[in-house]
Amino acid sequence: MSQNPSQPMLDRSDERVRHDDSLAAMAKGFIDRVRSGDLGMLPVAVGLVVISIVFSALNPVFLAPNNLVNLLFDCATVGVISLGIVCVLVLGEIDLSVGSMSGLSSAMVGVLWVNMGLPVAVGILAALVAGAAVGLLYAALYNRLGMPSFVATLAGLLALLGLQLYILGPTGSINLPYASVLVRFGQILIMPDWLSYVLALLPGLAMVGRGLRTRSQRLAANLSAQPMRALILKAVVLTAVLEAAMFYLNLGRGLPWMFALFVALAVLLNYALTRTQWGRSMFAVGGNKEAARRSGINVRRIYTSAFVLCSTLAALGGVLSAARLASSSQQAGTGDVNLNAIAAAVIGGTSLFGGRGSAYSALLGIIVIQAISNGLTLLNLSSSLRYMITGGVLAIAVIVDSLARRSRVSHGRA
Amino acid sequence: MTATLENAPAKGETVLRLRGVSKNFGAVSALTDIELEVKAGEVVALVGDNGAGKSTLVKVLAGVHQPSAGTIEFCGRQVTLDSPAKALDLGIATVFQDLALCENLDVVANLFLGHELSPWALDEVAMEVRAWTLLRELAARIPSVREPIASLSGGQRQTVAIARSLLLDPRLIMLDEPTAALGVAQTAEVLNLIERVRDRGLGVIIISHNMEDVRAVADRIVVLRLGKNNGVFTPDSSNQELVSAITGATDNSVSRRAERKSGHAQESHGGAA
Ligand SMILES: Nc1ncnc2c1ncn2[C@@H]1O[C@H](COP(=O)(O)OP(=O)(O)OP(=O)(O)O)[C@@H](O)[C@H]1O
Ligand SMILES: [Mg+2]
Repeated sequence: MSQNPSQPMLDRSDERVRHDDSLAAMAKGFIDRVRSGDLGMLPVAVGLVVISIVFSALNPVFLAPNNLVNLLFDCATVGVISLGIVCVLVLGEIDLSVGSMSGLSSAMVGVLWVNMGLPVAVGILAALVAGAAVGLLYAALYNRLGMPSFVATLAGLLALLGLQLYILGPTGSINLPYASVLVRFGQILIMPDWLSYVLALLPGLAMVGRGLRTRSQRLAANLSAQPMRALILKAVVLTAVLEAAMFYLNLGRGLPWMFALFVALAVLLNYALTRTQWGRSMFAVGGNKEAARRSGINVRRIYTSAFVLCSTLAALGGVLSAARLASSSQQAGTGDVNLNAIAAAVIGGTSLFGGRGSAYSALLGIIVIQAISNGLTLLNLSSSLRYMITGGVLAIAVIVDSLARRSRVSHGRA
Repeated sequence: MTATLENAPAKGETVLRLRGVSKNFGAVSALTDIELEVKAGEVVALVGDNGAGKSTLVKVLAGVHQPSAGTIEFCGRQVTLDSPAKALDLGIATVFQDLALCENLDVVANLFLGHELSPWALDEVAMEVRAWTLLRELAARIPSVREPIASLSGGQRQTVAIARSLLLDPRLIMLDEPTAALGVAQTAEVLNLIERVRDRGLGVIIISHNMEDVRAVADRIVVLRLGKNNGVFTPDSSNQELVSAITGATDNSVSRRAERKSGHAQESHGGAA
């Protein structure tokens, strides 16, 4: 190690930069970041605390373990759709048809599997392929004709809804067999307790493992490294929170497999966005399309990948919601599905303006959104009020996003 | 500097040759019948008034714009530069006048954009080390390579853009007003750098409005005027000659101003005497 004082570390030679090494300094760094508009997960944390206090005061059932288990089942369906929304938002685009796409895919599963008697896997696969095809179509409209995604997907919203109604036919609703694996996956299948405890250890372990590896690599390369203390503290807190959550859920039914699938997809997408060339290109295109093009990035391919991913995930979300409801109906994917998926991503910290976002924003944002929706349902509020409140929450999220962006611009963090 | 260039053409060999290159934007002909030749180990300065078409020519060579007519030969082969990726792959690196950086990404990400190390599991440490090395060669004053570009000053951004052009071991580097925003030390460092890459056998095209810088490094000075070639000069040609080629008249505002100044000086001398 070349840490002799005569030769400063590569990244420590400019004395103007404050290096936040101690815990107190790190806290200060965090406050600075928030002030400058880099809110990260803060709105989610605040939102969850407020929601828990308000709704549990109004109806104690809200925080009952089994209600939270139900909440997680609901999160998984729209959450998967929201993951796709994160992809298009990072590019500064939007897909307004994810709700209709999920409805169409749920209808396809019902028709192919129940009405036509094909294996369920065929139905699911066909729905996913249909999603990918719709994404390809949007990408072609955007890349070839320069059609704004806002317009193309707004048209898609109506067209896909029409297709959903068409294939469902006059009866309009297909019940899926309760005994099937798909419906059990969407309603009943719960992870064994021990497995949920083991899985809850993984994030903390991965954090420390990766931290140690990065640290040794950086020190070997004569770069400064984060102090281990802070990292271990973070990992311990995270693990404690997750294990406590598992304990609480296991007081009820436990952790749904469907939610685990959603989390796994979020982890996968997070890796792709932060640790691969594709992810880097996504943020580059979202930040400055022309600069990305001039760096040799195939911008069209990036747009195509995002639109295809978004529609395919919407289709998967549709399959999951069919499983959750044990039916394919005309109502699937309508109402607030679209807005919930978009609001979740934005509340979690993905910017509508492109170039900023994370897969975990969908994970945390959807928990906030579903908690509100679940709490309102427990209060026996009609959907009219629920829609108004959800709309208000989305508006607040967008306002926070805009203000944070303005602040970032003035603090040089665009 | 980094790796030696095995693929670099021998010194004196022609790297780039343009024949009759034209570019129209609708009714505007930004470039008409441009001829240009750059040899390995040669610095060609491209000068001209605002709007003369210099940046447009650079963008055509960078694959950003497609020429409306004409042929481009690179290292002896005729090429079509139909995308920036193609130009980069061939070994044409560009520092654009408008820099073309992604403000939301940090310095390291911008330097390696499109050419990240290990695409399936980004090697951040290796990229950061390489970034510091490159920036140090340019005497860059950049406090942290992990801050987004949005937080950098104009000159720091320019340094990042220049560093990026060196990353891929190009055979031809085009710098569009690279020193416009730079401090004294950084400008000198960029001029040194241009000499170093020339000595390594690269072709260099530099655009600048600063005649002093141009004379300091250029082997040839190519003048563009209203999108057309308007003469080729050597660095020792007189200022008068260059200015009149750039502005297109011997009687121009620059020479009038110079005369007025010297006239003033003589008058005041006379008065004092
Ligand atoms: N994308 C474009 N669309 C239309 N016209 C353009 C475009 N880019 C450049 N032009 C025109 O082409 C001409 C040459 O512009 P260019 O940017 O090449 O000038 P320049 O020599 O680089 O000038 P400067 O010294 O100011 O940078 C100008 O008349 C400009 O208006
Ligand atoms: Mg220019």
